[in-house]
Amino acid sequence: MKVKHFALGAAFLVALTGCSSNSAGSNGNSPANNTGTKNADNTASNAPAEKVELSFMGHGDPNEKKIFTELIQSFETKYPNIKVNYTSVPPAEYDQKLTTLTAAGKSPDVFYVSGPAFYRYAESGTILNIQQYLNKTDLFKPDNVWKQATDRYRYDGKSLGKGDLYGLPKDVGPWALAYNKDLFDKANVPYPPSEAGKWTWDDFLNTAKKLTQDTNGDGKTDIYGAANFPLEGAVWANGGDYVDYSTGKIKVDTPEFANAMQFVADLGLKHHVTPSPEDAKAMNNYARFVAGKIGMFPMGPWDQPAFWKLPYGWDLAAWPSSPTTGKTATWLGSMGFAISSKSKHPQEAFNLAAFLSLDKDGQKQNMEMGQAVPNLIDMAKNDFLQNGKAPEHKQVFLDIIENYGHPTVEFGSKDTQWLDTFNQDASKVWTGKETAAAWLKEIAPKLQELYDKGNK
Amino acid sequence: MISYRRKEIGWAYGFVAIPVLGFLLFGLLPLIASGILSFTKWDMVTSPKFVGFTNYVNLWKDEKVHKGLFNTFFMLIHIPLGMFISLLLAMLMNQKVRGVSIFRTIFYIPVISPVVAVSLLWMWMLNYDFGLVNQFLWDWFHIKGPNWLGDPHWVKPSLILMGLWGGVGGNMVLYLAGLQSISSTYYEAAEVDGANAFQKFTRITVPLLSNIHFFVVVMGVIGTFQAFSQVYVMVPDGGPEYSAATVVFNIFQHAFEYFDMGYASAEAWMLGVIILILTMIQFRLSKRWAYND
Repeated sequence: MKVKHFALGAAFLVALTGCSSNSAGSNGNSPANNTGTKNADNTASNAPAEKVELSFMGHGDPNEKKIFTELIQSFETKYPNIKVNYTSVPPAEYDQKLTTLTAAGKSPDVFYVSGPAFYRYAESGTILNIQQYLNKTDLFKPDNVWKQATDRYRYDGKSLGKGDLYGLPKDVGPWALAYNKDLFDKANVPYPPSEAGKWTWDDFLNTAKKLTQDTNGDGKTDIYGAANFPLEGAVWANGGDYVDYSTGKIKVDTPEFANAMQFVADLGLKHHVTPSPEDAKAMNNYARFVAGKIGMFPMGPWDQPAFWKLPYGWDLAAWPSSPTTGKTATWLGSMGFAISSKSKHPQEAFNLAAFLSLDKDGQKQNMEMGQAVPNLIDMAKNDFLQNGKAPEHKQVFLDIIENYGHPTVEFGSKDTQWLDTFNQDASKVWTGKETAAAWLKEIAPKLQELYDKGNK
Repeated sequence: MISYRRKEIGWAYGFVAIPVLGFLLFGLLPLIASGILSFTKWDMVTSPKFVGFTNYVNLWKDEKVHKGLFNTFFMLIHIPLGMFISLLLAMLMNQKVRGVSIFRTIFYIPVISPVVAVSLLWMWMLNYDFGLVNQFLWDWFHIKGPNWLGDPHWVKPSLILMGLWGGVGGNMVLYLAGLQSISSTYYEAAEVDGANAFQKFTRITVPLLSNIHFFVVVMGVIGTFQAFSQVYVMVPDGGPEYSAATVVFNIFQHAFEYFDMGYASAEAWMLGVIILILTMIQFRLSKRWAYND
């Protein structure tokens, strides 16, 4: 009864003082907050080390949640004095929830963060500079972790990519090209090569045309050669870009960009080898690929567990290269673990982040469950490549990480309204209302205005 | 005696205090806060920066705000449509037929269903490829149905269609109450004078329901301007070319996707003022056509 009263009183006080407590306080473990209850609980036992509770928030599908629940169990076995309270939020609500918690001073000790949110948080001092903890641990061997991943979590007080580490990579997300081997066999066309530069957009298109078929003769296409060819990759391969982050200039109004966008749009509009936006709306392309009705389709490592269950053979190929530059590109995403700068237990929080990001056992477990390419280079190059599971050419993932992966467009942009507007209005090009060149010319000044407004 | 009264007064204040405190904490305080915030730039992580009238000036120039307003005004179409259908239904449901209460219940069910559930249901119904609506159009009329939620021209009609389905039941009940309060003596007198059914409807029923029309219009306008959930669920990116986004949806995007609380607050105040003005106009106009006996 007394404890209850005390808790009520404390809660009321917290409410009155404007919710200035932090996460440690709210889960009832800060010494100042509950000495009363603690004495009452612990008089009989003599606990050896102080029990520490950490809050950890992430997002993802049920599969990811399951994997992290298991990883956290392993962590708790390794550090018996730490208890982790894990929350998994639906991805669409994640940023909203995290920002609200942060504004209320209750951000979790460890949480996922990347791209625009990471930039904002680093700038505002919401997340902890973990360099000093990294220097002390033997878990972190800089040569053995993908530089392309860790560099995203560096911040030098002004810009990203340089300076101290403010986060550790949860994963690297190479956006690769998967293909349905059975459809290739049926159409009697050779598989796409796994080495970059051997296949151009023209080869891709010709193959896709051969794969596209109306199997039951009703005049509607049943099998499409490809779907979801990513615009970003096409633009970068063609030598263009969305924005120059060093000068803050929107660069969509260039022939490189327009040609790439037209190529992607024409796949559906002119050549009909990809589902039209209407077809995609009806049955989403992922479901279509899974059902064996799409020849070539982009995937990330996190798709592996689902794709292992596919009833047909599949493998990875390199993205085709632009015929004008001979280069190829795709995006390499990443999520990071960050630690709240207000955490009461930064060392323990760091231990958790480091375990999830760098620990051999943790990485191995994560890899075996198929969620990600290991962050540890030696593990990726040995165990991962030879784990005997599909896809056969896993090297493509590593090639993307090492050679032609590109951070996603929003990386480096604190505010993404300009990009949302771009994506929304781009339907004019995807549906053929306007040509890419005309639309880009029209939209570029608007994007520039939005970019300046949100990122200055 | 005195102490008894004092105790009673104490209780009275206690009960009054709860809603008053609730209003102060969750009504007035946020209202004042948003008013102040609308003059700042605040991303919820760093502290707010005072920017003067910048947010309001930007609102004037923001193409998405214009689109949101246009879409919202467009959606107002559903009010007269809904009124017509609900009145028709109410008159049907006013018949003295066996089992009529079952039909009243059926038409009222959508009203009490949560918007999110209804939206999810209609997402399936309106699906371009395998939705019930297009299936029906094809099977019965051999019409190739539109891509309801994927085509910028069809998104708003889709939302209106769904709004009608969900909204007519509530208005039907209001009209039903209104119909039952009209004294039968009016109709009898009209019959003596030789009025036909149509004349009775237009000269007696419609005008005598005027205070209900008024209520339905005012609430409908406010409701339309506050529409959010169905857009958020059915077309979470605001639809192709932002064709489905309402003002509140735009506010939500600024507040919880771009974390620009100041701008969102300014837009919310703009919306509040618009609703206030529209409601005031309606009250003014109502003096000309709405009767109050």
